[in-house]
Amino acid sequence: MRTLVTAILSVSALLLLTGCWDRLEIEERAVVLSIAIDAADPEVVEKESMVNSKNRKSEHSIPVPEGKTVRVTAQIAVPGRIPLGPGGSSGSGGSSGGGNPVWVLESYGYTIDEALQSMQQEVADRMFFGHLRVIVMSEEYARRGTGNLSDYLRRNPEVRRLAWLVVSKEEAAQYMRTAPQLERVPALYLLSTMDHAVQMGKYPMEPIGSFWIKMSSLGQEANLPYLELQEKNNVRLSGLAYFKGEKLVGVTQPLEVGLFMGLSGSEQGGYSSYVRIPDSEETAMFRVSNRRSKTRAYIKNGRPAVEVTVFLEGNLTEASDQGKGNLNTQEDLQKIGKDLSDRFSDRYVTFIRYMQKKESDIFGYGEYIRAHEPAYWNRHIRTKARWQSAFKDMDVKVNVTFDIRRVGQKAQ
Amino acid sequence: MKPEKVITVVQATSILVSTIVGVGVLPLPLFAVTAAESGAPFATVVAMSIASVGLVIVTMLGMRFPKLTFPELSERIIGKWLAAPMTLLIIAFFAVLTALAAREFGTVVVTSVLKNTPIEVTVFVMLLLAALSARADVRSFSYMHMFYLPVVLVPALIIAGLSLKNSNLLYLMPIFGNRRPDFFGGVFTIAALFQGYFIMTTVIPFMRRPKKAMIASVFGMGIAGGLYLLLVVAVVAVFGPMETKNLLWPTLELAKTTALPANVLERLDAAFLSVWVTAVFTTLLSSYFLTVRNMNELLRLKDHKPFTFFMLPFVFLIAMLPENVLNLYQVIEIVGRIGLILTLLYPGALLLIAALRGLRGEAA
Repeated sequence: MRTLVTAILSVSALLLLTGCWDRLEIEERAVVLSIAIDAADPEVVEKESMVNSKNRKSEHSIPVPEGKTVRVTAQIAVPGRIPLGPGGSSGSGGSSGGGNPVWVLESYGYTIDEALQSMQQEVADRMFFGHLRVIVMSEEYARRGTGNLSDYLRRNPEVRRLAWLVVSKEEAAQYMRTAPQLERVPALYLLSTMDHAVQMGKYPMEPIGSFWIKMSSLGQEANLPYLELQEKNNVRLSGLAYFKGEKLVGVTQPLEVGLFMGLSGSEQGGYSSYVRIPDSEETAMFRVSNRRSKTRAYIKNGRPAVEVTVFLEGNLTEASDQGKGNLNTQEDLQKIGKDLSDRFSDRYVTFIRYMQKKESDIFGYGEYIRAHEPAYWNRHIRTKARWQSAFKDMDVKVNVTFDIRRVGQKAQ
Repeated sequence: MKPEKVITVVQATSILVSTIVGVGVLPLPLFAVTAAESGAPFATVVAMSIASVGLVIVTMLGMRFPKLTFPELSERIIGKWLAAPMTLLIIAFFAVLTALAAREFGTVVVTSVLKNTPIEVTVFVMLLLAALSARADVRSFSYMHMFYLPVVLVPALIIAGLSLKNSNLLYLMPIFGNRRPDFFGGVFTIAALFQGYFIMTTVIPFMRRPKKAMIASVFGMGIAGGLYLLLVVAVVAVFGPMETKNLLWPTLELAKTTALPANVLERLDAAFLSVWVTAVFTTLLSSYFLTVRNMNELLRLKDHKPFTFFMLPFVFLIAMLPENVLNLYQVIEIVGRIGLILTLLYPGALLLIAALRGLRGEAA
């Protein structure tokens, strides 16, 4: 008898353990590859939203967030049309060829979730965010504040922390529709834009997870890659969008991303700089190949101060009108290295000063103060808002050493 | 009843480790940063020391009466009429602890993986599994723990180790924390996560050489505490204290950001969850086993098997009581702190009285 009971129980355990409730066939999922967030026109939202104005007239109406309206555009992979492996449309597949590999949908709402809900109304299959790789938000939306978006994505367990969140200069929705030459799936093109930028040292590896970490930190402001759409549907990484709190406050020049990476010591170097060859009118181009930085934060005269030492290594990549300048001996290279060091330290300081004016501590110097000078931090700072104003008056010193290692495969 | 002597020191150690390491690894870093922000590892070490004191007391008590189980030795020390209600309280406490652990497990699974599965099912299945396995005798019980221990330890170490490449040492400084919002409250909550150490009371009477129980305790606490500390350090160093505060289950989030080298697996949360299910299972098994063994010894029966299924509906009902996830963690916090009285102060008092009265069990 007892064995029988045990047997029944074990079998029922086996059956229950399979998790049948959550069975979902792969072709019944609408795989969302990428989404775009734009600020929307309130009147359009009024019409399209699931919560319409009639509902909101009465006293017991559904409350909606005031003045916050969004348009969400999603790119959904169409099963069978995503080219697998090389070859593309030119042959082998036959029946699978042709047609757009992705389906672009848009919807409106007062919040991200509402917009996605109403999009779900139009899609038969359940939308699945496990493969969401790129989230584009327009500059306009980011300037209004990103709290809403972050909250929604944080709560959704399907979303990866390694997805990219980028800011676009134009309407973000355009990025969902562009069809670049190199890749048939627009989302994957955006993804490789970012991944390759990281590999080439053009942008630090900072996906959405790092964005959230910086945003939560008391002594640091967040930053995101800033993209711009060019003529032929190509995408340009053209700066660093910096935040103050949860709101975007400005965008840097493309080259300043390199300065930012130098100050934070991202190892892979990728930006170049001109320098005047000594004793001549000529210029040469040097590319940074490795970077390293050391930051020391301390209190000077009762005020936070920071001293950054940046170590750069680089190679000569191009000399204009070669032959007239002297680039042939080690001494020449050392002289140029010295010159570059001075110029760079100047540019670094200018860049930090500029960010100080914007009260956006994307370098995280506040974190250094918090970590190394807890007594000062506890007495004077403690909150993010107070660090923002303390950062403004911080004393900055930057030392740079630039070592030139190689000159390429050309003698003379 | 004469217990059979089957458990070796290594087995005792693995029972201790896999009992302590359980469902608590998920919210642990959150508890630690709410206690002391960047001082989270420090708070964990303090909590670990408190738990170690409890474990040492329990072990010394067990070694003093190497042949007696906990209900028996407490009767010997303070008499039947005082000891019986206390034993009953301990039984009730571990039943509640089992229930809460199962509920916490169910909540995590339903939130993050099986979103359409009713929570009753996940909780019930887990409890059923624990109940079925708790019918085993002490020997099989110890084998189960030893078998699953590497499955729990190795992947947890890999995830913590791999995640350290994204770490930022600034987040661990200052080591005592800038603010300590609720230091002792948080420390007690973390110490409560170690409460599984009470399983030593059940293990010692069955050890081949109870004299070596202390070695098992020291190693068990060292390994479990070390793992906890490592996870706290990894989470806080990667996310920073402020971001950790935003995460309900930071350790799960850590697994989500950690990729195997060369992108073999881009996120490890699925792997981590399957490991963690094992860890939860061994913990539930232990606390369930402890409950039914103590019941058995309180009533002086030969076999604990009849109780396993008798307890199941009660434990399940308790598990279903908390209203929502926030309420659940409130309850866990309160129950955990009450539990410290039962697992730390009560054995401490027993040991003191035994020493004062000069009581001692005969050697094994």
